[in-house]
Amino acid sequence: MEEDEFIGEKTFQRYCAEFIKHSQQIGDSWEWRPSKDCSDGYMCKIHFQIKNGSVMSHLGASTHGQTCLPMEEAFELPLDDCEVIETAAASEVIKYEYHVLYSCSHQVPVLYFRASFLDGRPLTLKDIWEGVHECYKMRLLQGPWDTITQQEHPILGQPFFVLHPCKTNEFMTPVLKNSQKINKNVNYITSWLSIVGPVVGLNLPLSYAKATSQDERNVH
Amino acid sequence: MAEEPQSVLQLPPSSAAGGEGLTDVSPETTTPEPPSSAAVSPGTEEPAGDTKKKIDILLKAVGDTPIMKTKKWAVERTRTIQGLIDFIKKFLKLVASEQLFIYVNQSFAPSPDQEVGTLYECFGSDGKLVLHYCKSQAWG
Repeated sequence: MEEDEFIGEKTFQRYCAEFIKHSQQIGDSWEWRPSKDCSDGYMCKIHFQIKNGSVMSHLGASTHGQTCLPMEEAFELPLDDCEVIETAAASEVIKYEYHVLYSCSHQVPVLYFRASFLDGRPLTLKDIWEGVHECYKMRLLQGPWDTITQQEHPILGQPFFVLHPCKTNEFMTPVLKNSQKINKNVNYITSWLSIVGPVVGLNLPLSYAKATSQDERNVH
Repeated sequence: MAEEPQSVLQLPPSSAAGGEGLTDVSPETTTPEPPSSAAVSPGTEEPAGDTKKKIDILLKAVGDTPIMKTKKWAVERTRTIQGLIDFIKKFLKLVASEQLFIYVNQSFAPSPDQEVGTLYECFGSDGKLVLHYCKSQAWG
């Protein structure tokens, strides 16, 4: 049996700092938020998505096969069409908020998240479950309460959904052990988030995979 | 890179969608073990190159994960990670509760919708993309 790989809180913060550094380089909008007494904190990202899954595009832009007009001619578009597009888009936009916190009890990072419509209505747990990627749906349906639960955010004190951390070591340990064998520096947070993120709609750009290895000079 | 004779494994249409577009390029395996019976026939040699529709993937097991008897596969560029995961799970006969993860650079899991062609462009070397895979009980 492999020895479990835990990380301490200081190490967690260090990995988060490296992660955020790369995020800033590529404009991925992760930021660090310290707690009130600054003794700890968490990583946070907000992103918006249209409910049908299509990429967020500029509100008011033509989406019905019409020619795109330059801005100065926009007034000539029938106002009704613009309004319809904007209204439809506004009601379907969902704001996702992802927080990465450190769990002292599990000694691993934990992913908290919440989602709401622009008018403030929160998504229900059922909505969240329905939004889980196909890849993981079967497993989720077998034991939904083991996977995503609702808990109070340890720092903000507000209700968030949480991806259960009790098995984190199970999937992180083989990856870390494998990397150690070849003396490769791995950012725990990057690896971990690349695995758990997609379950709840958070996909990391591929450049994160290269970010750590660019610091290494050896090529293999 | 020297050209090697290919054996082309045709997966029948009844297998999982993730099985489409994967052909066996491993010369050392003469009796591959597919999820279901399939015809094995020698295929014509396609020159390796960037313009090829398929890319070569080398699969490596991590941890206690079973090692696939066939490790080298030619995969359509548009095949997604999810499709590849489904294929490997069937190949290894994993149960539904077992999760399979695929990594590039031995540490980063691309999102399930990521196409292998893109991964090849970013992480491929020596004409192939090395992917590590690991099974795990990730939740529950």
